[in-house]
Amino acid sequence: MKVIVHVDPTRCRGHGICTLFFADGLELDRWGFGRPRESVPEGRRSLAQARRAARACPNGAISFTVERGRSRA
Amino acid sequence: MSLLQSLEERPVVPLNGPVLARLGGPGAVLLAGPAAGEGPEPFHGMLDRLGPTPPAMSSDIMSAIWASELRGRGGGSFPLWRKLQAALDAPGTPVVVINCSESEPASRKDWTLCSYRPHVVLEGAAAVARAVGAEEVVIHLHGRSIEPTTAIRCALHQRGSLAGDPDWRLSSGPGGYVAGEASAVARFVHSGVALPLSNSVPLARRGPSGRPTVVTNAETAAHVAALLRMGPDRWRAAGTESSPGPQLLTMAGAVPEPGLVVELVGQATIGEVLEAAGVPAPPAAVLVGGYAGTWLQGQAAWNAPMDATALRRLGAARGCGLIGVLPHGACGLVETGRLTRYMAGESAGQCGPCVHGLPVLATCMDGLAGGTAGRRSLKRLHRTADALPGSGACSHPDGVVRLVLSALKVFEHDVVRHCAGKPCRAADHPPVFLTSGPGGGELP
Repeated sequence: MKVIVHVDPTRCRGHGICTLFFADGLELDRWGFGRPRESVPEGRRSLAQARRAARACPNGAISFTVERGRSRA
Repeated sequence: MSLLQSLEERPVVPLNGPVLARLGGPGAVLLAGPAAGEGPEPFHGMLDRLGPTPPAMSSDIMSAIWASELRGRGGGSFPLWRKLQAALDAPGTPVVVINCSESEPASRKDWTLCSYRPHVVLEGAAAVARAVGAEEVVIHLHGRSIEPTTAIRCALHQRGSLAGDPDWRLSSGPGGYVAGEASAVARFVHSGVALPLSNSVPLARRGPSGRPTVVTNAETAAHVAALLRMGPDRWRAAGTESSPGPQLLTMAGAVPEPGLVVELVGQATIGEVLEAAGVPAPPAAVLVGGYAGTWLQGQAAWNAPMDATALRRLGAARGCGLIGVLPHGACGLVETGRLTRYMAGESAGQCGPCVHGLPVLATCMDGLAGGTAGRRSLKRLHRTADALPGSGACSHPDGVVRLVLSALKVFEHDVVRHCAGKPCRAADHPPVFLTSGPGGGELP
Protein backbone atom coordinates (compact mmCIF):
# COMPACT_ATOMS: atom_id res chain seq x y z
CA MET A 1 0.00 0.00 0.00
CA LYS A 2 1.55 3.25 -1.14
CA VAL A 3 0.79 6.48 0.71
CA ILE A 4 1.18 9.73 -1.20
CA VAL A 5 1.23 12.76 1.09
CA HIS A 6 0.47 16.25 -0.16
CA VAL A 7 1.28 19.44 1.72
CA ASP A 8 -0.75 22.43 0.56
CA PRO A 9 1.93 25.15 0.64
CA THR A 10 -0.71 27.87 0.67
CA ARG A 11 -2.01 26.56 4.00
CA CYS A 12 1.19 25.46 5.69
CA ARG A 13 2.29 27.95 8.36
CA GLY A 14 5.34 26.02 9.47
CA HIS A 15 4.13 24.64 12.80
CA GLY A 16 6.03 21.47 12.04
CA ILE A 17 3.58 19.27 13.95
CA CYS A 18 3.14 17.00 10.94
CA THR A 19 6.74 15.86 11.07
CA LEU A 20 6.31 14.82 14.70
CA PHE A 21 3.58 12.41 13.67
CA PHE A 22 4.94 11.28 10.33
CA ALA A 23 8.69 11.76 10.39
CA ASP A 24 9.22 9.01 7.83
CA GLY A 25 7.03 10.70 5.25
CA LEU A 26 7.38 14.42 5.89
CA GLU A 27 10.29 16.74 6.50
CA LEU A 28 10.82 20.45 7.03
CA ASP A 29 12.45 22.66 4.43
CA ARG A 30 14.99 25.41 5.07
CA TRP A 31 12.32 27.69 6.44
CA GLY A 32 10.53 25.11 8.55
CA PHE A 33 7.66 24.41 6.19
CA GLY A 34 6.54 20.85 5.73
CA ARG A 35 7.09 18.92 2.53
CA PRO A 36 6.84 15.26 1.59
CA ARG A 37 10.04 13.25 1.66
CA GLU A 38 11.34 11.96 -1.63
CA SER A 39 10.43 8.41 -0.73
CA VAL A 40 7.69 7.59 1.71
CA PRO A 41 7.76 4.09 3.24
CA GLU A 42 4.88 1.89 2.17
CA GLY A 43 2.54 0.05 4.48
CA ARG A 44 -0.18 0.37 7.08
CA ARG A 45 2.10 2.11 9.57
CA SER A 46 2.63 4.98 7.13
CA LEU A 47 -1.06 5.23 6.49
CA ALA A 48 -1.81 5.51 10.21
CA GLN A 49 0.90 8.11 10.69
CA ALA A 50 -0.20 10.11 7.67
CA ARG A 51 -3.75 10.12 8.99
CA ARG A 52 -2.54 11.39 12.37
CA ALA A 53 -0.38 14.09 10.74
CA ALA A 54 -3.31 15.25 8.61
CA ARG A 55 -5.53 15.48 11.69
CA ALA A 56 -2.89 17.25 13.73
CA CYS A 57 -2.19 20.06 11.28
CA PRO A 58 -3.90 23.19 12.63
CA ASN A 59 -4.31 24.55 9.10
CA GLY A 60 -5.50 21.41 7.39
CA ALA A 61 -2.58 21.56 4.99
CA ILE A 62 -1.90 17.83 4.92
CA SER A 63 -3.82 15.48 2.69
CA PHE A 64 -2.91 12.05 1.44
CA THR A 65 -3.98 9.49 -1.07
CA VAL A 66 -3.58 5.76 -0.89
CA GLU A 67 -2.52 4.21 -4.14
CA ARG A 68 -5.17 1.83 -5.42
CA GLY A 69 -7.28 4.69 -6.65
CA ARG A 70 -8.96 5.31 -3.30
CA SER A 71 -8.64 8.84 -1.98
CA ARG A 72 -8.75 10.01 1.64
CA ALA A 73 -8.20 13.45 2.99
CA MET B 1 -5.67 3.90 -42.83
CA SER B 2 -5.32 4.87 -39.20
CA LEU B 3 -5.07 8.48 -38.14
CA LEU B 4 -1.50 7.90 -37.02
CA GLN B 5 -0.48 6.58 -40.42
CA SER B 6 -2.09 9.45 -42.20
CA LEU B 7 -0.15 11.82 -39.94
CA GLU B 8 3.15 10.12 -40.73
CA GLU B 9 2.49 10.47 -44.40
CA ARG B 10 1.28 14.02 -44.23
CA PRO B 11 2.83 16.28 -46.82
CA VAL B 12 5.47 18.70 -45.69
CA VAL B 13 4.57 22.08 -47.08
CA PRO B 14 7.75 23.75 -48.30
CA LEU B 15 8.33 27.32 -47.22
CA ASN B 16 10.49 29.88 -48.92
CA GLY B 17 12.34 31.10 -45.87
CA PRO B 18 10.82 32.46 -42.70
CA VAL B 19 8.31 35.28 -42.55
CA LEU B 20 8.74 37.82 -39.78
CA ALA B 21 5.63 39.94 -39.89
CA ARG B 22 4.32 42.78 -37.84
CA LEU B 23 0.64 43.52 -37.32
CA GLY B 24 -0.96 43.57 -40.78
CA GLY B 25 2.30 42.57 -42.45
CA PRO B 26 2.49 40.26 -45.46
CA GLY B 27 2.74 36.54 -44.80
CA ALA B 28 1.37 36.70 -41.27
CA VAL B 29 -1.20 34.20 -40.02
CA LEU B 30 -2.53 35.55 -36.73
CA LEU B 31 -1.47 39.14 -37.35
CA ALA B 32 -2.71 39.24 -40.95
CA GLY B 33 -5.31 41.87 -41.80
CA PRO B 34 -5.44 45.62 -41.33
CA ALA B 35 -2.49 47.60 -39.95
CA ALA B 36 -2.39 48.93 -36.41
CA GLY B 37 -3.60 52.37 -37.43
CA GLU B 38 -7.01 50.99 -38.37
CA GLY B 39 -7.79 49.81 -34.86
CA PRO B 40 -9.55 46.58 -33.98
CA GLU B 41 -10.65 44.53 -36.96
CA PRO B 42 -14.47 44.44 -37.07
CA PHE B 43 -16.45 41.21 -37.40
CA HIS B 44 -17.41 41.77 -41.04
CA GLY B 45 -13.77 42.69 -41.70
CA MET B 46 -12.60 39.30 -40.50
CA LEU B 47 -15.37 37.49 -42.39
CA ASP B 48 -14.53 39.40 -45.61
CA ARG B 49 -10.86 38.57 -45.17
CA LEU B 50 -11.14 34.93 -44.16
CA GLY B 51 -14.61 33.84 -45.16
CA PRO B 52 -17.27 32.42 -42.88
CA THR B 53 -16.26 30.35 -39.87
CA PRO B 54 -15.95 26.74 -41.06
CA PRO B 55 -18.56 24.55 -39.39
CA ALA B 56 -16.99 21.88 -37.20
CA MET B 57 -18.19 19.33 -34.69
CA SER B 58 -16.56 18.72 -31.34
CA SER B 59 -14.75 15.61 -32.56
CA ASP B 60 -13.46 17.43 -35.68
CA ILE B 61 -12.07 20.21 -33.54
CA MET B 62 -10.49 17.77 -31.11
CA SER B 63 -8.80 15.78 -33.85
CA ALA B 64 -7.57 18.93 -35.60
CA ILE B 65 -6.06 20.21 -32.35
CA TRP B 66 -4.55 16.79 -31.72
CA ALA B 67 -3.04 16.61 -35.20
CA SER B 68 -1.70 20.15 -34.93
CA GLU B 69 0.13 19.40 -31.64
CA LEU B 70 -0.69 22.94 -30.56
CA ARG B 71 0.79 23.71 -27.18
CA GLY B 72 -0.40 26.42 -24.81
CA ARG B 73 1.22 29.77 -25.54
CA GLY B 74 0.84 31.31 -22.11
CA GLY B 75 4.20 30.00 -20.95
CA GLY B 76 3.59 26.45 -19.82
CA SER B 77 3.61 24.94 -23.34
CA PHE B 78 1.20 22.21 -22.27
CA PRO B 79 -0.39 20.27 -25.15
CA LEU B 80 -3.86 21.76 -25.61
CA TRP B 81 -5.53 18.52 -26.66
CA ARG B 82 -4.49 16.85 -23.40
CA LYS B 83 -6.05 19.65 -21.41
CA LEU B 84 -9.23 19.44 -23.47
CA GLN B 85 -9.32 15.65 -23.25
CA ALA B 86 -8.98 15.84 -19.46
CA ALA B 87 -11.98 18.20 -19.37
CA LEU B 88 -13.98 15.90 -21.66
CA ASP B 89 -13.23 12.87 -19.49
CA ALA B 90 -14.06 14.59 -16.21
CA PRO B 91 -17.60 14.69 -14.82
CA GLY B 92 -19.61 17.92 -15.22
CA THR B 93 -20.01 20.53 -17.93
CA PRO B 94 -16.68 22.25 -18.53
CA VAL B 95 -16.13 26.00 -18.33
CA VAL B 96 -13.67 27.65 -20.69
CA VAL B 97 -11.62 30.61 -19.53
CA ILE B 98 -9.57 32.50 -22.08
CA ASN B 99 -6.72 34.14 -20.24
CA CYS B 100 -5.99 37.48 -21.90
CA SER B 101 -4.60 39.14 -18.79
CA GLU B 102 -0.97 38.80 -19.87
CA SER B 103 0.66 39.47 -16.54
CA GLU B 104 4.16 39.12 -17.96
CA PRO B 105 5.12 42.82 -17.75
CA ALA B 106 7.02 43.16 -21.03
CA SER B 107 4.88 40.81 -23.10
CA ARG B 108 2.38 42.38 -25.50
CA LYS B 109 1.24 39.51 -27.71
CA ASP B 110 -2.13 38.89 -26.03
CA TRP B 111 -2.61 42.63 -25.70
CA THR B 112 -1.98 43.01 -29.45
CA LEU B 113 -4.24 40.11 -30.42
CA CYS B 114 -7.14 41.22 -28.22
CA SER B 115 -6.77 44.86 -29.22
CA TYR B 116 -6.49 44.34 -32.97
CA ARG B 117 -7.82 40.84 -33.77
CA PRO B 118 -10.49 40.33 -31.11
CA HIS B 119 -12.70 38.29 -33.46
CA VAL B 120 -9.95 35.77 -34.13
CA VAL B 121 -9.60 35.22 -30.38
CA LEU B 122 -13.38 34.89 -29.98
CA GLU B 123 -13.67 32.47 -32.89
CA GLY B 124 -10.98 30.28 -31.34
CA ALA B 125 -12.60 30.54 -27.93
CA ALA B 126 -15.94 29.44 -29.36
CA ALA B 127 -14.23 26.48 -31.03
CA VAL B 128 -12.53 25.44 -27.78
CA ALA B 129 -15.89 25.67 -26.02
CA ARG B 130 -17.53 23.53 -28.67
CA ALA B 131 -14.71 20.98 -28.49
CA VAL B 132 -15.34 20.33 -24.80
CA GLY B 133 -19.07 21.03 -24.82
CA ALA B 134 -18.80 24.11 -22.62
CA GLU B 135 -21.80 26.39 -22.35
CA GLU B 136 -19.92 29.30 -20.85
CA VAL B 137 -16.77 31.07 -21.96
CA VAL B 138 -15.15 33.65 -19.71
CA ILE B 139 -12.83 36.13 -21.38
CA HIS B 140 -10.51 37.19 -18.63
CA LEU B 141 -8.72 40.51 -19.12
CA HIS B 142 -6.61 42.69 -16.97
CA GLY B 143 -8.87 45.46 -15.69
CA ARG B 144 -6.47 48.28 -16.46
CA SER B 145 -5.74 47.19 -20.01
CA ILE B 146 -8.13 49.60 -21.69
CA GLU B 147 -7.57 48.81 -25.39
CA PRO B 148 -8.04 45.03 -25.29
CA THR B 149 -11.00 45.33 -22.94
CA THR B 150 -12.74 47.84 -25.22
CA ALA B 151 -11.94 45.84 -28.34
CA ILE B 152 -13.21 42.56 -26.88
CA ARG B 153 -16.33 44.23 -25.50
CA CYS B 154 -17.13 45.72 -28.93
CA ALA B 155 -16.31 42.43 -30.62
CA LEU B 156 -18.72 40.51 -28.39
CA HIS B 157 -21.40 43.07 -29.22
CA GLN B 158 -20.73 42.75 -32.97
CA ARG B 159 -20.66 38.98 -32.83
CA GLY B 160 -24.04 38.98 -31.13
CA SER B 161 -25.51 35.59 -30.48
CA LEU B 162 -24.33 33.34 -33.27
CA ALA B 163 -25.91 29.92 -33.54
CA GLY B 164 -24.01 27.42 -31.42
CA ASP B 165 -22.13 30.09 -29.51
CA PRO B 166 -21.59 29.67 -25.78
CA ASP B 167 -22.66 32.27 -23.22
CA TRP B 168 -19.94 34.89 -23.13
CA ARG B 169 -18.82 36.55 -19.96
CA LEU B 170 -16.20 39.23 -19.50
CA SER B 171 -14.02 39.15 -16.44
CA SER B 172 -11.88 42.07 -15.42
CA GLY B 173 -9.10 40.97 -13.12
CA PRO B 174 -6.50 42.69 -10.97
CA GLY B 175 -2.88 43.19 -11.96
CA GLY B 176 0.10 41.39 -10.53
CA TYR B 177 2.43 38.77 -11.89
CA VAL B 178 0.87 35.69 -10.31
CA ALA B 179 -2.70 36.95 -10.79
CA GLY B 180 -2.33 35.83 -14.39
CA GLU B 181 -1.37 32.27 -13.42
CA ALA B 182 -3.93 29.74 -14.62
CA SER B 183 -5.23 28.60 -11.24
CA ALA B 184 -5.36 32.20 -9.97
CA VAL B 185 -7.42 33.15 -13.04
CA ALA B 186 -9.73 30.16 -12.57
CA ARG B 187 -10.17 31.08 -8.93
CA PHE B 188 -10.79 34.74 -9.75
CA VAL B 189 -13.51 34.08 -12.31
CA HIS B 190 -15.19 31.75 -9.83
CA SER B 191 -14.86 33.61 -6.54
CA GLY B 192 -13.11 36.92 -7.16
CA VAL B 193 -9.86 35.94 -5.42
CA ALA B 194 -6.90 36.13 -7.78
CA LEU B 195 -4.50 33.85 -5.91
CA PRO B 196 -2.95 30.61 -7.20
CA LEU B 197 -4.33 27.34 -5.91
CA SER B 198 -2.39 24.36 -4.72
CA ASN B 199 -3.57 21.82 -7.24
CA SER B 200 -3.37 18.16 -6.64
CA VAL B 201 -6.08 17.74 -9.28
CA PRO B 202 -5.56 19.52 -12.63
CA LEU B 203 -7.92 22.44 -13.25
CA ALA B 204 -9.11 20.82 -16.45
CA ARG B 205 -10.44 17.92 -14.38
CA ARG B 206 -11.86 19.90 -11.51
CA GLY B 207 -11.55 23.66 -11.17
CA PRO B 208 -12.47 25.86 -8.21
CA SER B 209 -16.15 25.72 -9.16
CA GLY B 210 -16.05 21.92 -9.04
CA ARG B 211 -16.50 21.79 -12.80
CA PRO B 212 -13.76 21.00 -15.30
CA THR B 213 -12.11 24.34 -16.04
CA VAL B 214 -10.11 24.84 -19.21
CA VAL B 215 -7.91 27.90 -18.79
CA THR B 216 -6.11 28.73 -21.97
CA ASN B 217 -4.18 31.68 -23.30
CA ALA B 218 -5.54 34.22 -25.82
CA GLU B 219 -2.85 33.38 -28.37
CA THR B 220 -3.64 29.67 -28.02
CA ALA B 221 -7.31 30.40 -28.76
CA ALA B 222 -6.34 32.43 -31.82
CA HIS B 223 -4.23 29.52 -33.04
CA VAL B 224 -7.21 27.20 -32.70
CA ALA B 225 -9.18 29.51 -34.99
CA ALA B 226 -6.27 29.63 -37.45
CA LEU B 227 -5.64 25.89 -37.54
CA LEU B 228 -9.31 25.09 -38.05
CA ARG B 229 -9.38 27.44 -41.03
CA MET B 230 -6.02 26.35 -42.50
CA GLY B 231 -6.14 22.70 -41.55
CA PRO B 232 -3.64 21.26 -39.07
CA ASP B 233 -1.05 20.33 -41.73
CA ARG B 234 -0.74 23.79 -43.21
CA TRP B 235 -0.78 25.29 -39.73
CA ARG B 236 2.02 22.98 -38.57
CA ALA B 237 4.09 23.81 -41.63
CA ALA B 238 4.08 27.44 -40.51
CA GLY B 239 6.44 26.44 -37.71
CA THR B 240 9.16 23.88 -37.08
CA GLU B 241 9.06 20.18 -36.30
CA SER B 242 9.32 20.70 -32.53
CA SER B 243 7.45 24.02 -32.45
CA PRO B 244 4.65 23.58 -34.97
CA GLY B 245 2.61 26.59 -36.06
CA PRO B 246 3.40 30.28 -36.17
CA GLN B 247 4.62 32.03 -33.03
CA LEU B 248 4.01 35.48 -31.63
CA LEU B 249 7.12 36.99 -30.12
CA THR B 250 7.42 40.19 -28.10
CA MET B 251 10.60 42.24 -28.28
CA ALA B 252 11.76 43.74 -25.00
CA GLY B 253 14.74 45.54 -23.50
CA ALA B 254 17.25 47.30 -25.73
CA VAL B 255 15.33 47.09 -28.99
CA PRO B 256 14.19 50.04 -31.14
CA GLU B 257 10.53 49.37 -30.24
CA PRO B 258 10.06 47.61 -26.91
CA GLY B 259 6.71 45.86 -26.91
CA LEU B 260 6.82 45.20 -30.65
CA VAL B 261 5.09 41.94 -31.48
CA VAL B 262 6.48 39.94 -34.39
CA GLU B 263 4.89 36.86 -35.84
CA LEU B 264 7.36 34.20 -36.90
CA VAL B 265 6.07 31.94 -39.66
CA GLY B 266 8.54 29.18 -40.47
CA GLN B 267 11.96 28.65 -38.97
CA ALA B 268 14.29 31.46 -37.98
CA THR B 269 17.08 32.02 -35.51
CA ILE B 270 16.68 34.46 -32.65
CA GLY B 271 19.22 36.61 -34.52
CA GLU B 272 16.98 36.79 -37.57
CA VAL B 273 14.02 37.69 -35.37
CA LEU B 274 16.03 40.44 -33.70
CA GLU B 275 17.31 41.72 -37.04
CA ALA B 276 13.72 42.05 -38.21
CA ALA B 277 13.03 44.03 -35.05
CA GLY B 278 15.91 46.39 -35.80
CA VAL B 279 18.74 44.92 -33.73
CA PRO B 280 21.72 44.84 -36.13
CA ALA B 281 24.24 42.70 -34.22
CA PRO B 282 24.38 40.14 -31.38
CA PRO B 283 23.78 41.87 -28.04
CA ALA B 284 25.51 41.03 -24.77
CA ALA B 285 22.80 38.60 -23.73
CA VAL B 286 19.22 37.66 -24.49
CA LEU B 287 16.49 36.85 -21.99
CA VAL B 288 14.24 34.23 -23.54
CA GLY B 289 10.77 33.25 -22.37
CA GLY B 290 9.81 36.04 -20.00
CA TYR B 291 10.98 37.37 -16.65
CA ALA B 292 10.81 33.83 -15.34
CA GLY B 293 12.85 32.80 -18.36
CA THR B 294 16.44 32.03 -19.14
CA TRP B 295 19.41 34.21 -19.98
CA LEU B 296 21.41 33.15 -23.00
CA GLN B 297 24.77 34.48 -24.01
CA GLY B 298 24.28 36.95 -26.87
CA GLN B 299 26.10 35.16 -29.68
CA ALA B 300 24.74 31.74 -28.70
CA ALA B 301 21.21 33.13 -28.68
CA TRP B 302 21.76 34.94 -31.97
CA ASN B 303 22.55 31.64 -33.72
CA ALA B 304 19.91 29.57 -31.93
CA PRO B 305 16.77 28.66 -33.87
CA MET B 306 13.54 29.86 -32.22
CA ASP B 307 12.32 26.35 -31.75
CA ALA B 308 11.63 24.10 -28.75
CA THR B 309 14.37 21.53 -29.35
CA ALA B 310 17.09 24.09 -30.02
CA LEU B 311 16.09 26.16 -27.00
CA ARG B 312 15.91 23.09 -24.76
CA ARG B 313 19.46 22.21 -25.77
CA LEU B 314 20.50 25.62 -24.43
CA GLY B 315 18.46 25.13 -21.28
CA ALA B 316 15.78 27.60 -22.30
CA ALA B 317 12.13 27.47 -23.37
CA ARG B 318 9.95 29.80 -25.43
CA GLY B 319 7.74 30.51 -22.42
CA CYS B 320 5.44 33.39 -23.33
CA GLY B 321 7.53 34.27 -26.39
CA LEU B 322 9.42 37.18 -24.88
CA ILE B 323 12.81 38.03 -26.37
CA GLY B 324 14.61 40.51 -24.16
CA VAL B 325 17.80 42.18 -25.29
CA LEU B 326 20.59 43.14 -22.89
CA PRO B 327 22.82 45.69 -24.65
CA HIS B 328 26.60 45.78 -24.44
CA GLY B 329 27.34 48.22 -21.69
CA ALA B 330 24.59 47.10 -19.35
CA CYS B 331 25.23 44.66 -16.54
CA GLY B 332 23.33 41.39 -16.53
CA LEU B 333 23.70 41.01 -12.79
CA VAL B 334 22.28 44.46 -12.07
CA GLU B 335 19.34 43.75 -14.39
CA THR B 336 18.75 40.32 -12.88
CA GLY B 337 18.92 41.83 -9.41
CA ARG B 338 16.24 44.34 -10.37
CA LEU B 339 14.06 41.67 -11.95
CA THR B 340 14.50 39.35 -8.96
CA ARG B 341 13.49 42.11 -6.55
CA TYR B 342 10.41 42.79 -8.68
CA MET B 343 9.50 39.10 -8.89
CA ALA B 344 9.96 38.69 -5.12
CA GLY B 345 7.50 41.54 -4.64
CA GLU B 346 5.04 39.87 -7.00
CA SER B 347 4.70 36.76 -4.86
CA ALA B 348 1.10 36.15 -3.86
CA GLY B 349 2.39 35.76 -0.33
CA GLN B 350 0.64 32.45 0.18
CA CYS B 351 3.40 29.89 0.38
CA GLY B 352 6.17 30.05 2.97
CA PRO B 353 9.10 29.13 0.75
CA CYS B 354 8.18 31.85 -1.77
CA VAL B 355 7.62 34.48 0.94
CA HIS B 356 10.90 33.67 2.69
CA GLY B 357 13.03 32.44 -0.19
CA LEU B 358 12.52 35.02 -2.92
CA PRO B 359 13.62 38.01 -0.79
CA VAL B 360 16.79 36.06 0.06
CA LEU B 361 17.46 35.57 -3.64
CA ALA B 362 16.77 39.25 -4.29
CA THR B 363 19.05 40.40 -1.47
CA CYS B 364 21.87 38.13 -2.60
CA MET B 365 21.44 39.32 -6.18
CA ASP B 366 21.45 42.96 -5.05
CA GLY B 367 24.63 42.29 -3.11
CA LEU B 368 26.17 40.61 -6.11
CA ALA B 369 25.11 43.43 -8.41
CA GLY B 370 26.44 46.09 -6.04
CA GLY B 371 29.77 44.31 -5.54
CA THR B 372 29.22 43.87 -1.81
CA ALA B 373 28.58 40.13 -1.92
CA GLY B 374 31.23 37.62 -1.08
CA ARG B 375 31.58 33.88 -1.38
CA ARG B 376 29.23 33.26 1.55
CA SER B 377 26.47 35.26 -0.01
CA LEU B 378 26.90 33.33 -3.23
CA LYS B 379 26.65 30.06 -1.31
CA ARG B 380 23.50 31.29 0.39
CA LEU B 381 22.09 32.16 -3.01
CA HIS B 382 22.75 28.64 -4.29
CA ARG B 383 21.36 26.95 -1.17
CA THR B 384 18.17 28.99 -1.42
CA ALA B 385 17.88 28.36 -5.13
CA ASP B 386 18.21 24.62 -4.51
CA ALA B 387 15.45 24.61 -1.90
CA LEU B 388 12.85 26.61 -3.83
CA PRO B 389 11.81 24.68 -6.96
CA GLY B 390 8.61 22.72 -6.52
CA SER B 391 7.92 24.23 -3.10
CA GLY B 392 5.03 26.51 -3.98
CA ALA B 393 1.45 26.14 -5.12
CA CYS B 394 2.36 27.72 -8.43
CA SER B 395 5.69 27.77 -10.22
CA HIS B 396 6.51 31.40 -9.44
CA PRO B 397 9.54 30.52 -7.27
CA ASP B 398 10.73 27.99 -9.86
CA GLY B 399 10.72 30.69 -12.51
CA VAL B 400 12.71 33.14 -10.39
CA VAL B 401 15.26 30.43 -9.64
CA ARG B 402 15.58 29.71 -13.36
CA LEU B 403 16.23 33.40 -14.03
CA VAL B 404 18.82 33.73 -11.26
CA LEU B 405 20.72 30.52 -12.02
CA SER B 406 20.89 31.27 -15.72
CA ALA B 407 22.22 34.74 -14.87
CA LEU B 408 24.97 33.27 -12.67
CA LYS B 409 25.98 31.04 -15.57
CA VAL B 410 25.80 33.51 -18.44
CA PHE B 411 27.34 36.38 -16.50
CA GLU B 412 29.99 34.16 -14.90
CA HIS B 413 32.80 36.63 -15.55
CA ASP B 414 30.83 39.47 -14.02
CA VAL B 415 30.17 37.33 -10.95
CA VAL B 416 33.92 36.89 -10.47
CA ARG B 417 34.57 40.59 -11.01
CA HIS B 418 31.77 41.68 -8.71
CA CYS B 419 32.80 39.23 -5.98
CA ALA B 420 36.35 40.56 -6.19
CA GLY B 421 34.95 44.01 -5.44
CA LYS B 422 35.89 45.41 -8.84
CA PRO B 423 33.56 48.19 -9.84
CA CYS B 424 30.69 47.33 -12.13
CA ARG B 425 31.17 48.85 -15.55
CA ALA B 426 27.49 49.48 -15.93
CA ALA B 427 26.34 50.60 -12.50
CA ASP B 428 24.58 53.68 -13.80
CA HIS B 429 23.11 52.21 -16.96
CA PRO B 430 19.37 52.97 -16.97
CA PRO B 431 17.10 49.94 -16.36
CA VAL B 432 16.77 47.82 -19.51
CA PHE B 433 13.64 45.89 -18.60
CA LEU B 434 10.31 47.30 -17.50
CA THR B 435 9.04 46.07 -14.22
CA SER B 436 5.47 47.17 -14.79
CA GLY B 437 3.14 46.67 -17.70
CA PRO B 438 -0.34 45.49 -18.57
CA GLY B 439 -0.19 43.12 -15.61
CA GLY B 440 1.43 45.42 -13.10
CA GLY B 441 0.91 48.99 -14.15
CA GLU B 442 1.05 51.33 -17.11
CA LEU B 443 3.31 51.00 -20.07
CA PRO B 444 4.74 54.11 -21.65
